[in-house]
Amino acid sequence: MDKEKIGELKIQLQQLLNEAQEFVQRIPPLQLYAAIGVVVFTIFLLLVIRLFKRRSANTILLTGLSGSGKTVLFYQLRDGSFHQGTVTSMEPNEGTFILNSETSKKGKINPVHIVDVPGHSRLRPKLDEFLSQAAGIVFVVDAVEFLPNVRAASEYLYDILTKASVVKKKIPLLLLCNKVDKVTAHTKDFIRRQLEKEIDKLRASRTALSSADVTNEYTLGLPGEAFVFSQCHNKVTVAEASGLTSDISQLEQFIREYVKA
Amino acid sequence: MLEQLLIFTRGGLILWTCKELGNALRGSPIDTLIRSCLLEERSGAASYNYDAPGASYTLKWTFHNELSLVFVAVYQRILHLLYVDDLLSMIKQEFSAIYDPKRTSYDDFDDIFQQLKKEAEARAEEMKKSKQLGKPVNNNLGRKQGQVQNGSVDGGSKKKSGGESGNDGGDGDKSRGRPLENGNLRNNHVGKGEVPAMVNANGKENGASKTGAFDVNKLQKLRSKAAKKTETVVNKVPKGEPNKKITKKNRVWDDSPKESKLDFTDPVSENGEQNISVVAADEGESMMDKEEIISSDSESEEEETGKDSNVDSKKKGWFSSMFQSIAGKANLQKSDLEPALKALKDGLMTKNVAEEIAEKLCESVAASLEGKRLASFTRISSTVQAAMEEALVRILTPRRSIDILRDVHAAKEQGKPYVVVFVGVNGVGKSTNLAKVAYWLLQHNVNVMMAACDTFRSGAVEQLRTHARRLQIPIFEKGYEKDPAIVAKEAIQEASRNGSDVVLVDTAGRMQDNEPLMRALSKLIYVNSPDLVLFVGEALVGNDAVDQLSKFNQKLGDLSPSPDPRLIDGILLTKFDTIDDKVGAALSMVYISGAPVMFVGCGQSYTDLKKLNVKSIVKTLLK
Repeated sequence: MDKEKIGELKIQLQQLLNEAQEFVQRIPPLQLYAAIGVVVFTIFLLLVIRLFKRRSANTILLTGLSGSGKTVLFYQLRDGSFHQGTVTSMEPNEGTFILNSETSKKGKINPVHIVDVPGHSRLRPKLDEFLSQAAGIVFVVDAVEFLPNVRAASEYLYDILTKASVVKKKIPLLLLCNKVDKVTAHTKDFIRRQLEKEIDKLRASRTALSSADVTNEYTLGLPGEAFVFSQCHNKVTVAEASGLTSDISQLEQFIREYVKA
Repeated sequence: MLEQLLIFTRGGLILWTCKELGNALRGSPIDTLIRSCLLEERSGAASYNYDAPGASYTLKWTFHNELSLVFVAVYQRILHLLYVDDLLSMIKQEFSAIYDPKRTSYDDFDDIFQQLKKEAEARAEEMKKSKQLGKPVNNNLGRKQGQVQNGSVDGGSKKKSGGESGNDGGDGDKSRGRPLENGNLRNNHVGKGEVPAMVNANGKENGASKTGAFDVNKLQKLRSKAAKKTETVVNKVPKGEPNKKITKKNRVWDDSPKESKLDFTDPVSENGEQNISVVAADEGESMMDKEEIISSDSESEEEETGKDSNVDSKKKGWFSSMFQSIAGKANLQKSDLEPALKALKDGLMTKNVAEEIAEKLCESVAASLEGKRLASFTRISSTVQAAMEEALVRILTPRRSIDILRDVHAAKEQGKPYVVVFVGVNGVGKSTNLAKVAYWLLQHNVNVMMAACDTFRSGAVEQLRTHARRLQIPIFEKGYEKDPAIVAKEAIQEASRNGSDVVLVDTAGRMQDNEPLMRALSKLIYVNSPDLVLFVGEALVGNDAVDQLSKFNQKLGDLSPSPDPRLIDGILLTKFDTIDDKVGAALSMVYISGAPVMFVGCGQSYTDLKKLNVKSIVKTLLK
């Protein structure tokens, strides 16, 4: 019984094939080639567009030491307030949204994808996961408790500035001095100079030994000269902000500079 | 009375705090909890103690893994609140009902909270009353358990652990005795001499007598204190003996030549030395400076071995797990996680991870996965594996910078020598690795000086002298039988005089139970306040690593006369070339002490010094 059924199916298939062949042969060859050409061209276009989309990143990373105020800044950007306060983050905060200050603007605004990466040293490896999509990095520094943490901050900054993806793609970096509303906060120029000095010392003492397996793939600056941020391949700017009082205009400027509205 | 109750997301935003309990918390207990407990993979512990000037709190927490929420309750340590666990789980249930990722203020939760709190308090009152009746029965039970424990475990210190754990409403015995913290916080000095070497049986057995039957534990405390006293007396006697042996005169059997001729080292080596030293200096680059190439095809390997182990287990289990993985099970329960975790724990133990550490790690991973929703097309075992891998990377990533060269330069600028003290038990390789570190530092143009503070073992000073001659660096020695603390002090003074940047201090090996020797060591560290206290441990050690490190840290903390004692800052793992892939000792040591592994010794020549490669260790551990 089965064999008969299979035999019947075979005959039916063959008939269909013959009919299809006749149909195709009936179409003038020009139309056929044109149709195939259109299909191939569309596929090609789609691939190219996908490639382009992947290259343009729209992510801004917020990093810095633990306690510098990244989570507060994240919520200020998103909601305009930091609600009831924050504690040490254990996981990254991600969000794609329109900046809170721009919600009143009319028209279509491109949302920004912002990632707040935890600053605790044990969670450093998380930064690498997001670096590939970054269009800009904001390194948040606590301007009040700056000097006790200057070594740790400079080491972290050095690690970021010498990562391969940052150097090759020339990702711009904003050095954001947070908590400037406090009276004892240092000025941004002081912070910039101190960090340059510390990184200079790090250049001298850093060999292949760095943290457990993060390796410095590039060296910074020019040999024989003191290090300044202008020597970096990627653009480094300095700005001030205050998370608690919502004074984040310079940060928003940086974001909009690299993620067009 | 609760001091505070917080609900916050894992990303750090506080969602709700109880506004009624408006007392501001002294210090920053929540941040410390996160940094020293939850991020250290100790989230399986029952509670956490926090000490700040003016207040001492106990914190309890629970997670809601699916929504990434953390619920923390803070209360004064002297109060033994019984209803906290209950309250936390009820709050978790209620809050998850009203939680919405977009919302950031939950004021309506206040009323619900008040209600729940009243319920929980009422329930606790009832339980207390019923417990009072059952207390005498409980006492006997607890005592019997304690005795069985004491009998089977040797060492007075272990007896103490039986007494100290299970105290005070289930304080995390796992989190006690961890006197190493950032800054000046002393988190666990509730009483002196608490031993954190917890055997898991402890926690489980005493769990029954957790709530209220603390007088049983007091009895055990008294008993163990008596035992401790006899131990110290016993220990003093053997210390006398070695001293005697050294001062004993050599026996003269007949008219043989005097002993002075027994020392053949100096004249012969004088001529051979120069050649040797030139050769030594050219042994090549220390492996510290060489990069390790990490192969990135680990993912496929892990998947395949996972599949194999699945097939080995029952066929039914495989089929149902495949079905579940496609369907995506609702919520992970502890019972689902158990088989996968057990397999992981056994796997870790075959890789020479200490049993307690493996247990604690599995508990912590379970706490972070419970209640989570399985994504479709993932097996439970692969989720557990991924969570464990993340936890291992987190533990092995150093908490602070391990860039010694940077520290050396900083000390140089201040004009002081950078002092490193090598401590450890007998025979782990302190002197050998000291020489390796000296060789590496020399290659980076640092002036090194050795200090021979091992004044006990015969040949120790000569050993260092030989190394110093080969490396052509100065050595400070005072021979044998001198007080090591004084020798170290003079060595540091000599170093600042002759312009050495680094002083490497070699100490005698000592067992962690040997009280007088540990006292001498803590005196050495107190008197000289070194920049780096390096614990040298061998990678061959198994469960003893936990005991060694915890006792070293504890003794250094307790026996030091200063209020802010120095503890172990770093670990040097030796004999790494002998262990093949049983690399678990690294994990045990880092977990129990919190100190990063700064160097790894992998051979006996000068260049065999590496840095720890976290990714490859994790890969090896989970294979």
